[in-house]
Amino acid sequence: MADADEDAIPRTGPDAGETDLSDETQDFRFLASITGEEVKIPKRGEKDFEPHETALQSNILAASRAAMHGALSYPRIHTPKKYTLAIYHPETNMAYAEDPKGPLFKSMGKVYPPKDDPLGVREANVNRLWLLPEEILYLLERGTVDVRWPAEGDEEDGLGAPMSLQGAYAAFIGMEDGTGGVLTFERYSVYAGLRRAGYMVHRAPSWDGPGNAPGGECLPPLPGTSWSLGLLSSRLRSSFWRKAGASSNDQISGPLAAPSCYRSYAEIYRRLALVPFYDPALRSPDGPDPTDPNFRITYHVYKPGSPLYKKSDPGPPDFRIAVVNARETCVPALAQLGALLDTTPYVPPREDMQLYQKLRHGYKSIILAIVDQGVTSYLRLADSGIGREKLFDRVFKPGGGKRGGGNRGGGKRKGR
Amino acid sequence: MAEITVSEPFPIFQVAHRYLLYDVNTVTYARRTHNITGVLIGGLPQAPQQNVFSGIPLELMPEEARLLVEKGVSYIVDDVAAHRKNFLAHGLSAEEKKAFMRSMQRQGVDAAKAQQKKAVEKKKDALKKAEKKGASTENWNDVPDDMFAGPRKSKAARAAEKKAKETAQTDGQKDGAAEDETLFGAPANPVTEWSAGELDPAAQQLHEELGESLKITPTTSYPPIRSEPPPPGEALPLPEVPSSYPVFKHMHENGYFLAPGLRFGCQYMAYPGDPLRFHSHFLCNGMDWDEEFDLLRLVGGGRLGTGVKKGYLIGGEEKKEGAYQESHVRAFCIEWGGM
Repeated sequence: MADADEDAIPRTGPDAGETDLSDETQDFRFLASITGEEVKIPKRGEKDFEPHETALQSNILAASRAAMHGALSYPRIHTPKKYTLAIYHPETNMAYAEDPKGPLFKSMGKVYPPKDDPLGVREANVNRLWLLPEEILYLLERGTVDVRWPAEGDEEDGLGAPMSLQGAYAAFIGMEDGTGGVLTFERYSVYAGLRRAGYMVHRAPSWDGPGNAPGGECLPPLPGTSWSLGLLSSRLRSSFWRKAGASSNDQISGPLAAPSCYRSYAEIYRRLALVPFYDPALRSPDGPDPTDPNFRITYHVYKPGSPLYKKSDPGPPDFRIAVVNARETCVPALAQLGALLDTTPYVPPREDMQLYQKLRHGYKSIILAIVDQGVTSYLRLADSGIGREKLFDRVFKPGGGKRGGGNRGGGKRKGR
Repeated sequence: MAEITVSEPFPIFQVAHRYLLYDVNTVTYARRTHNITGVLIGGLPQAPQQNVFSGIPLELMPEEARLLVEKGVSYIVDDVAAHRKNFLAHGLSAEEKKAFMRSMQRQGVDAAKAQQKKAVEKKKDALKKAEKKGASTENWNDVPDDMFAGPRKSKAARAAEKKAKETAQTDGQKDGAAEDETLFGAPANPVTEWSAGELDPAAQQLHEELGESLKITPTTSYPPIRSEPPPPGEALPLPEVPSSYPVFKHMHENGYFLAPGLRFGCQYMAYPGDPLRFHSHFLCNGMDWDEEFDLLRLVGGGRLGTGVKKGYLIGGEEKKEGAYQESHVRAFCIEWGGM
């Protein structure tokens, strides 16, 4: 059972630096250490095991709750210098700003061509930026934009009532189905979380439909072209052992490893490799399967600070994320997952990677963001080619144990 | 801190099948009085680029919302319909709207004043610090100090020069006129005061008269919308809950705080007190009373729980009449021995 010394466990393990602070309910008394001038990450896990009815404990709890209350009541005030006004447009469930200020708009919003502007033809001198529901909701939430309801005609300043945070959630998420939009709480949670972490996030083409059919970058190269790609050695090897493998006539009628002169164990092992396996580096004969609506790429995510990034043409993303609702879907079946992976680009592991890195990297990968009642967990799933990594084909470093099974060389890396 | 209370029943807002709280007082109150924590899913405007601390809104699990409604301490409001009616379909009367805009303006003026005060205090603090630093450091080659002291000194010097010039002028023009000296002395003073970093009183007054008002994005829409508990018979249906609800309720009745637990490998995490202060004790999973399941689940759950120093708890509701206590829910805790 747990004991009070949980905090005292030395955190020197391999994941000491990877502790995710957002995993747990944090003590709001430490928020000041983030918002203050000095940036300090709050200490983790200064908690008690159970209530013991002491004044000390209840005072600390009261202080934590007071700090939380204070932090949560912080108002969203707009200073005139950075003031950006946006107006809600119920027909598209978007909002538009005509004078956006701030660096955030470098990666958000869209200016339509004058003819396609949802408000009708836009005049040339008007710079009207349209913000998607998740973008405007995020901006409102972080206190950057003052959003107004559409004016009803009897206002003094010609502007509608200010939209509250509550109103924004009701409108941009609650009224989405009225306009055919598909923004959900899960999707917004993931969007805002990634944005807060500094990433730039865009909707993927498969945001509200099957999206484009997977292009050439999603398929492994054809064997013919791979010669020029420097995969020569592995290809040659694989085509070689295929010939020497199961289809050999000697093996059908005689022993698997016929009496002969073998110069290495590898040659024998190669003859024993009879079981067919899935090879992610080969194209499947039939095209990609249709994707399941619950498992599609939702967002393209870009690392901050890339010089190539442009809002209008962001280029290939650094990560692809599929948002999954934990309460309404189960763990994906192989078919669902396979179809999802079919839509991700083919990125084989580098040849010089170590075996386990290669397996972890995989040939295709996708990040699932699983949201359970506002709590998000990220999982990376990769299509690893275990069958392609022949243990008997590995080349050991000179000086390692000659027998492979010793303490050094290959055996060392074999696993944990 | 004074105990914050809200009048019961308080509204829970339903948006797209989710149950949310936006009012900070309600959030604090539900936590303190009803042991309901929910999950904060919003961002904090004062610290917008981090994910360690979250802000309003607070999302309630359907289980939590149902529990509060069944207890009679809250009611569900269809928030989308309310906003559509009041902000998009002229649902607010002109007076209500005007009153709301006026109150927003008042808040804006207060915010502006508070901000001005803060700015002045900050300036004063900075000047004090700089003065202290300047007095203690004798090394005038220190660049930042130098850069800061430079213009200030010259400003003060300029003021002194001006004063000297003016007095010289007075001396020259109206020799020995004592009344005039005070007249001319006056304009020199605000200059020095201004350079000392205080707010010009005249400018401050001007701001007050104009009523400079900062724009504010309110957190809730209530007001201007008013919400009242629905008359009996017209309430929205109870939130739909999964079959694990009896266990949730059972644990909650016994004083535990419950939070969603998927990322820890269970349905609910059970905390002996407020999760702000305490570690969780149990990984809870609800089951049907006659549900058959794999022994491996017990082994896996037990190992997981023991590995993180918690108990793996399963429970279900017995359908028999009066079988065990009043709630008919029994819970079992599994621990891995010998680890």
